[in-house]
Amino acid sequence: MSAIELIDAAQAPLLVRRHFEGGDPGALVAALAHVPEICEVALPLFGTVLGPTSLPVRLKEVVVLRTSVTGRCRFCVDSHTVVAWDSGLSGEEVAALRGEAPWPPTFSTLERDAARFADLMWERPEGAVDVLRPHLEDHAIVEMVVLCSTTMLLNRLCTALALPVAPAVAARLAAAGL
Amino acid sequence: MGGRLWFYSNYHCNLACAYCLTESSPRVARRALPAADIIALATEAVDLGFTSFGITGGEPFLLPDMPRTVARLAGLRPVVVLSNGTLFTDRLLRRLAPLAGLPVAIQVSLDSADAEVNDELRAPQNHARVTEAIPRLVDAGVRVRIATTSEGLDAEARERLCALHRSLGVSDDDHVVRPVVRRGRAATGGLGVDVAAADLPPELTITADGAFWSPFGPTVRGQRLDTDLLVTRTTRPLSIPAAAILRLVTGRPPGADAGLNIR
Repeated sequence: MSAIELIDAAQAPLLVRRHFEGGDPGALVAALAHVPEICEVALPLFGTVLGPTSLPVRLKEVVVLRTSVTGRCRFCVDSHTVVAWDSGLSGEEVAALRGEAPWPPTFSTLERDAARFADLMWERPEGAVDVLRPHLEDHAIVEMVVLCSTTMLLNRLCTALALPVAPAVAARLAAAGL
Repeated sequence: MGGRLWFYSNYHCNLACAYCLTESSPRVARRALPAADIIALATEAVDLGFTSFGITGGEPFLLPDMPRTVARLAGLRPVVVLSNGTLFTDRLLRRLAPLAGLPVAIQVSLDSADAEVNDELRAPQNHARVTEAIPRLVDAGVRVRIATTSEGLDAEARERLCALHRSLGVSDDDHVVRPVVRRGRAATGGLGVDVAAADLPPELTITADGAFWSPFGPTVRGQRLDTDLLVTRTTRPLSIPAAAILRLVTGRPPGADAGLNIR
């Protein structure tokens, strides 16, 4: 149960009503809709940062899932476990990122360092990008920092508001024994 | 977009009308806008091009500062204050004296020429108190408008009501009749007509809970604030909700507003 009442379609404020027109928009939108002027700009930011960009989707999910694991956000870990599966990460790879299994050899060096970068962003952000420098140019480093920072924001947001995962996510996790 | 900026000065009321949009009563939280905030917002509104102000509630005249607040606003732009018309004691009328000659109208609710019909929806003795107060306001030099909220007023009932308001010193130009809107307590009681944003003229409305599309927006049902007509939680600077409602208005087809003549 969430820490706040979640806005439903009937109560969706005008600025963000379009996000409810296709059905249940999810707990994050239903929570942010309480403050439409923030929701209105936050969703495009989240969508842009977490959506398709110049970085490979698989690499991005390594960062997002690992950041969420280290940040202990149940909502984000559960949600991005499913997204990671759908982004081409294997069950073994996802389990490793979740801290539940050894690191498989299938990760590239960049992906391993990206996971390390995600840990460092919580533990010691000064110099965290150093692990990325051998692999990425400046623009990609900036994007990795934005991706990780946005995920950290979402981790705190979803945890503080105790947002429930979508039923479809819960069902897939249950089917996988998670 | 309408040029009038509305303020919900407070949510509490000495009455508990059957169709009240905000479930106001003596027992609800005040949720008042501080007078200083109203004046600051009104000052900003002038710079943004708003042409008049409206104050509603709750019952605005439960707030001791209200006569002074209205006078300050009237020094900026014309003001209409919505009132149930039951609090105009000699003392309050004396405090309203400075409003004489200013561009101020007090809009008093009166729903029927028949006391029984009026009082059933509003409160016992409401008709008597309101019809006593209106001439006293008029005599004090305050312009009075009468708002009739009705589920249906036939020609004969309307004519008797108009004869009554004329006898009280209120002209036909200052009498508005509008339907019960099915929100708040009216929705709970199954009264009124359903409305959506497209049915309501966009008139930016500031409350303690945020900025809304129209004064019919910040309604309360089951003690829960409706957010379907919420524009922004931010109210200051006023430019933020003003810009947001302009974005919402952009693209609306001409004539899509005011379909039910709810004003």
